[in-house]
Amino acid sequence: MPDIRILVVDDEPDIRATVSAMLEIEGYNVAEASNGAAALAAIEQRLPDIILLDMRMPILDGWGFAAELRRRGHQTPIVVMTAARDAARWARDIAAAAFVAKPFGYDDLISAVESARPPS
Amino acid sequence: MTALELISLINQFLFIGLFVVVLRRALRDHTAMSFNAALLFGSIAGAVVLARVAGWLGVNGQAGVTAVTLILLTAAPYAMLRLVDDFSGTPRWVQIAGAAAFVGVSVLATLGFERMEQFVEIIIIGFFVAVGGFAAYAFARESRRTRGITRRRMAAVSIGAGLFIAAVVLLLLAALFTAPGLGIVGQVLALTAVTAFYFGFIPPTWMRRAWREPDLRGFLERSIHLASVPDDRAAILELQGAAANAFGASGAAVGIANADGTVLRYVDAEEWVEFPADAFIAGWAFQQQRRVVAIEAATTDPDNADTYAASNAQTVISAPITTDDRRIGVLSIFAERAPVFIEDDLWLLELLADQTAVLLEARTLTAHASELRAREDAAQLKEEFLSAAAHDLRTPLTVVLGQAELMERRLARDPDAPVDPAGVARMVREARRLRDLVNELLDAQRLEQGQILTDRVPDDLCAIVEVVRARHGERGITLPLTRPDEPLVGLVDRPRMEQVLENLIENAMKYGDQPPRLEIGATGDEARIAVIDRGLGIPEEERDRIFERFFRASNVKSVTDTGLGLGLHICRRIVAEHGGRIWHEPTPGGGSTFVVALQLEIPLNPASDADPVPAWPSASGAGALADA
Repeated sequence: MPDIRILVVDDEPDIRATVSAMLEIEGYNVAEASNGAAALAAIEQRLPDIILLDMRMPILDGWGFAAELRRRGHQTPIVVMTAARDAARWARDIAAAAFVAKPFGYDDLISAVESARPPS
Repeated sequence: MTALELISLINQFLFIGLFVVVLRRALRDHTAMSFNAALLFGSIAGAVVLARVAGWLGVNGQAGVTAVTLILLTAAPYAMLRLVDDFSGTPRWVQIAGAAAFVGVSVLATLGFERMEQFVEIIIIGFFVAVGGFAAYAFARESRRTRGITRRRMAAVSIGAGLFIAAVVLLLLAALFTAPGLGIVGQVLALTAVTAFYFGFIPPTWMRRAWREPDLRGFLERSIHLASVPDDRAAILELQGAAANAFGASGAAVGIANADGTVLRYVDAEEWVEFPADAFIAGWAFQQQRRVVAIEAATTDPDNADTYAASNAQTVISAPITTDDRRIGVLSIFAERAPVFIEDDLWLLELLADQTAVLLEARTLTAHASELRAREDAAQLKEEFLSAAAHDLRTPLTVVLGQAELMERRLARDPDAPVDPAGVARMVREARRLRDLVNELLDAQRLEQGQILTDRVPDDLCAIVEVVRARHGERGITLPLTRPDEPLVGLVDRPRMEQVLENLIENAMKYGDQPPRLEIGATGDEARIAVIDRGLGIPEEERDRIFERFFRASNVKSVTDTGLGLGLHICRRIVAEHGGRIWHEPTPGGGSTFVVALQLEIPLNPASDADPVPAWPSASGAGALADA
């Protein structure tokens, strides 16, 4: 598998840790950010290949982050990851590549990430 | 034909026409008033016709004709006197004197006119001025005592009577002194008089509408806001006041029927009183669905004579309050005296009954709408709650499920793989969070169903605070405590009171960066427990709402919190069921202070009231326990 880097953005540390552990088992390279602002700082360091994005977060939420990301000209695919019933609509709102609704299992997460993976 | 002759002719026609209309009504309704009105205009019309016929027969001026004409004319003031009695009552001697004077003048006119014409005419003028003048004055006085259409009609009758007397006197003087100028003035006055009589006795519909309008408007203005008055009894009392006012009556009663129309409810001294639907004159009107007039209420309904007397009601008129398909109730008006023009009062009564029906229907609709709105609000709240609860349950569930699956996969690859301690810790932490959320939900559920306290026993509040504090101490959290030396005994459900304290402390820890301070003390017969933090505090405009169900202060939404917004709501319920109070006040210098006040089972020694235990509230420093 080529080296694919994923940024996990969620304000819940336990969610970040669990999601990261799953992705690492699958061989992805994972970085974490606790909100939209922290995620913007992280992509300045290094642009990931995929962004896993929670929508409701303090400081800068998912909508704000996605808008800023696109404004900066990045086309990085986003996978929306939310507990809300409106997961599908929110994913459309920000033109996400895929979404997973909490509570999700291992396979749900991995297949969503794979569907968002840019063709290699 | 001269102008004088023309006016005279018009006057004659008008009086005859008035007589015909009034006579027809007298034959229809058989009231004394109608007959006396017919007598009044009949005597005038008779004199007019007699003069015409005598003219045709060429017997004008003959003694007999003159005498009969004079007798007919003098009957007019006498009829007025009788009308005064019908309208407002007069002493008996006035009627007897009036009748005697009428007979005397008639005899004098018959026997003495030939020999002493001028003397008789002067006597007749005196009779007109005295009797007619008194009648005109009495009508005016009656007018001032009544309201609405009756007042205007009575005023018209008074003006008509006064002008008529003046006209006849002028015409007699014109004949006496052979002064045609006076005759013209007399005829013009007579024309005005007959017009006033028309308005008084047979007012046209447009005129009645115009006269009725101020009363109707007054009623509507007073009653229009009643659709939204929350209290039914207050609305009914106000409605009754407005109706009585519109009639100038001593009182009014609105009875409201129950669903099957067997009971009528009235408001008596702000209380509801119920009567069978056939009780009182109002009950008859309701049951028969038609208006009922009881001129002498005590005679018509002798069983309830006392009630009518107590309401100062000689006359009661009632009309059903009914919409197309619903019998709502009945409206009654209590009049101190019999109405003069009953048909106008009935007309107004039915109008008011219809308006009342509209108002009461509007009230029902308003109540119905707000009930519906409340139900929708409750449904929406429940919906929002379920959605919030589902959201809050999903996050820990994701972690528990994810960690379990991770563990499963690792074991599948390598059965001897070491356990990931961080993963297990996450799983345990999030599973506990799930448990707490589920407990909170169950508490909320129990709250919905009512009772949440099980058993209240006398217990030391200081000891309860110490237990909760010790529990935190075991986890390495030190809560500074200020407490009195002696126990403060209240009637408490101990596990529930501990839950309140745990909840308040947990909130303080969540929104503050250090453990809260605890203070317990008492003033008089009340113990107060304060949980004082130096955290975020609560925005001033939200302080009243923090105890509401599902409410979360706007400044904590950015903080990761796991609650459903039920904690303080549950606390308030528990404290309230203890008969106590809970409130929030800002901690001086920032942060929140929550105070729980509970009744002491054993009041403090009164002597210590002045110096509460422990030296309170100066010991608190923050002044947290000052009276809220």
